[in-house]
Order: sequence, then C-alpha cells, then structure tokens
Amino acid sequence: MSPPGRAGVASVTDDLRAFLATATGRDELLRIPPGTALFGTEVGLDSLTGTLLLREIQRRFGVDVAGEDLNLDSLATLGTLAAFVAQRAHP
Amino acid sequence: MTREGPVKCVVWDIDNTLLTGVYLESGDQPPGADPALAAVLAELGERGILHALASKNPPEAAEHTARVTGWRFAAAECGWGSKSGALARIAATLGIAVDALAFVDDDPYERAEVGLALPGVLVLSPEDAAEAAGWPEFSPPVVTPEARRRGEMYAERQRRQAAERSFGGTREEFLESAGTRVGIAAATAADVPRLAELAARTRQFNSAGAGMTQDWFRGLLAAPDRDVVTVRLQDAFGDDGMVGGCVIARGAGTWTVPLLMMSCRAMGRGVIDALLAWLIRHAARAGARRLLIPCVANSRNVPLRLALAAAGFRVPGPAGQAPAAYQRDLEPPLPALPGRVSAPGEPGGDPA
Repeated sequence: MSPPGRAGVASVTDDLRAFLATATGRDELLRIPPGTALFGTEVGLDSLTGTLLLREIQRRFGVDVAGEDLNLDSLATLGTLAAFVAQRAHP
Repeated sequence: MTREGPVKCVVWDIDNTLLTGVYLESGDQPPGADPALAAVLAELGERGILHALASKNPPEAAEHTARVTGWRFAAAECGWGSKSGALARIAATLGIAVDALAFVDDDPYERAEVGLALPGVLVLSPEDAAEAAGWPEFSPPVVTPEARRRGEMYAERQRRQAAERSFGGTREEFLESAGTRVGIAAATAADVPRLAELAARTRQFNSAGAGMTQDWFRGLLAAPDRDVVTVRLQDAFGDDGMVGGCVIARGAGTWTVPLLMMSCRAMGRGVIDALLAWLIRHAARAGARRLLIPCVANSRNVPLRLALAAAGFRVPGPAGQAPAAYQRDLEPPLPALPGRVSAPGEPGGDPA
C-alpha cells in the first residue's frame, strides 16, 4: 500500500498504461516505457482519449491535471504524467 | 435557479405525460399520445432541440411512445432507478451538459427529485411544457439546417459508435474505413448563420467564449486581412454539415487565430487535429513564422487545450494571463494532413 495521500509512481504508471490500452484498444500500450511521448505517434493521445484519461485520473486519484497545469506539460511523457499525478494523489 | 443558456434536449416522462395513460396498466390497448405534447415535440424538434425519454417502464414503452408520437428520440432510459440518474446518463450519451436539459414529468415527486439532485435542469409539468415553446429557453436565435437535423445526427452517431466498438483496428483505421471526409474551405456569406450558431453553442471546443454575432462574422468576411474558415464533416453514416470553423488574422510574421471552434459532436473524428495541422501548414506556406491562438482556459474547454497541446502549442511565460496565448513556431517539420482532408492549398482542395 502507498502511504496515505501519496501513490507510488510505479503503480500510477501501471494504472495509466492499463487505461490507455483499454481506451485505445491497443494492448501494446501495456508495455510502453515511461519515456514514451503521449502526443507522439506511438500513443497518439488526442482530445478524446486525452479527455477520457484526465477524467479517469480525476476520478481515481483526485487530481485535476488540466486545472493545475495550464500548458498540460505534465502530459509530455507517460513518466512525467505519472510523477505529476503521484505527487498530488489523494485516492 | 442556476441554469443559463438554451435548452438542447428535453427529457420526457412517458406515463400520463407523453401518453394519455399508464403503459403497463393498459393491457392490450396501450394509450395513445397526448396531442398537445406531440405538437410540442414537433415544434421544438424543428428548432433543433433534441428529445429523450426517461421512464420507469420496460424498454417496450419507449418503442411504443416513439411509434404513437411519430418521433425518433435521441436517447431513452427505461428502468426503475432515479430520474436524476437517468438524466445524467442521457446528458453523457448525447455529449451535452446536464444544465442544457429540460425535464417534463406529471409526477410532482419525480420533478422534486430531479430539481433537488440537478438544480441546473429546467423542470416542467406537462401543463408548463405545452406552453414552453414560447419561452426564450426554447428559442434558439438562429435555426440552421444542421440544427434541424440534429436529432437524426445523434441517431447516426449512435450507429457510428456501435460500429466503432465492434471494429477491430485503431481509431485512425476506423475513420478511413467509415469513409470520413473533412472539408476545410473559405467561408461565404451563406455560412454566417451556422458560424454564429456554432460560436454560441460550442463550449468544449471554443477558444474565445461567447459574443460572436452574425454581424461580427459578416464584418470579418469583408476585412482584407482576415480569413473566415469553415470545416465540414461527413462519412458513410451521415453528413454532419458544418461542424467547426476558425478566424485567421494575417500579420507580418505572426498569424493569430482569434476564434477556433468545433461542435463536440465531431469529437474523436480527427477534425480539430486536421484543422490545427492545416492552420500550421497554411501559415508556414504563406511565410509566417509563428501561429498564435489566444484561448480562454477553463475546465470546460479541456478537450480543446488537449488538442492544442497535441499539435505542439504551448503558453510561454508565467500562467495567469487571460486569455492564455497558445503559440507554436512554424519551423519544419510541419505536421502531415491525412488524405481524407481537403483544404485550401492542399492536394484536392481549393487554391489558397
């Protein structure tokens, strides 16, 4: 178990991978490394999958990514997003 | 009263509301439609307002109601849960805000339950509803062909979504297999009513907020250094007509986009990405070095901000300016444009 108020980066990363694989129907996303760009061709996050992802993060971890990060720079890679969420999570 | 803006969808009860009796208590002879409310359905439908059903009945009651009223409902929730839950699911299915719903029920208990749980919903008795066609909440300022066809388009959307769920490949492959066509073109005077309607109705994909009138668009069409652009969308499931648009202000080194908008109906169909990619290519071809899109950043237009981030736009400097100045340098490599997109200056499009 993670300490209260914080989630482990590794477990958040796994959760995000699982969600991306389900939302896109592409199982290979279960194995992407943390350095993978989310907006790049490999994941191809767009406004629809991105909105679903941010909604799921808010539901599961209580983190409003879009509210706290105007530029959405946290969405650069899988790893930056997991770190951003893990630091603020209160599941 | 927290609601504001026009009603986009009316959610109707069935028993003793749209029907003149109770469906399950009528044996082999289910009740017919209430003629006054059937006329309201048609009148509001003509204005582009959607209709949906929320009923504590089996699904056959919804089919019967559709038959006797002659109306194709955009969504139907039949079950024994709360009506407020049914309304929330209908809003999610249709991709519209709960606050854009009205709810009509003869049962004061149901009206109270919805009014308490969802204070943004306009709650009406059948008697109120019979007169509601005259109210401003049900009177959109302009009614375009796209608005009149909105009910059919939601039915097409449900068929498209069902096909996509059963499709094996990626979304990109689905868009291709569905024969998706995105048409970007210079606006003409005939496009102005729909442009103003989109400017008034779009929230999730709108960079500028409200206030763009038909006169504002007409003025821009006449301005020498401004371009007004429309985006149309169709595929094998149906023709959505004009789903988006933008305004371009051509400057010496920097092009600015004072308005970028798209109907949320077109979400997930590659439209906003195509429009942004074309804007980048178009501005770069004309010699601009930077593209600037001022965008009011709020919780409702997160989808647009995601699209901007995905297309490489960033807000430099400290946060807190309003609107935020999203910008992108126009250095190569420029984004590709899928073959399903036709646009000025691109193969298969009009000349720039």
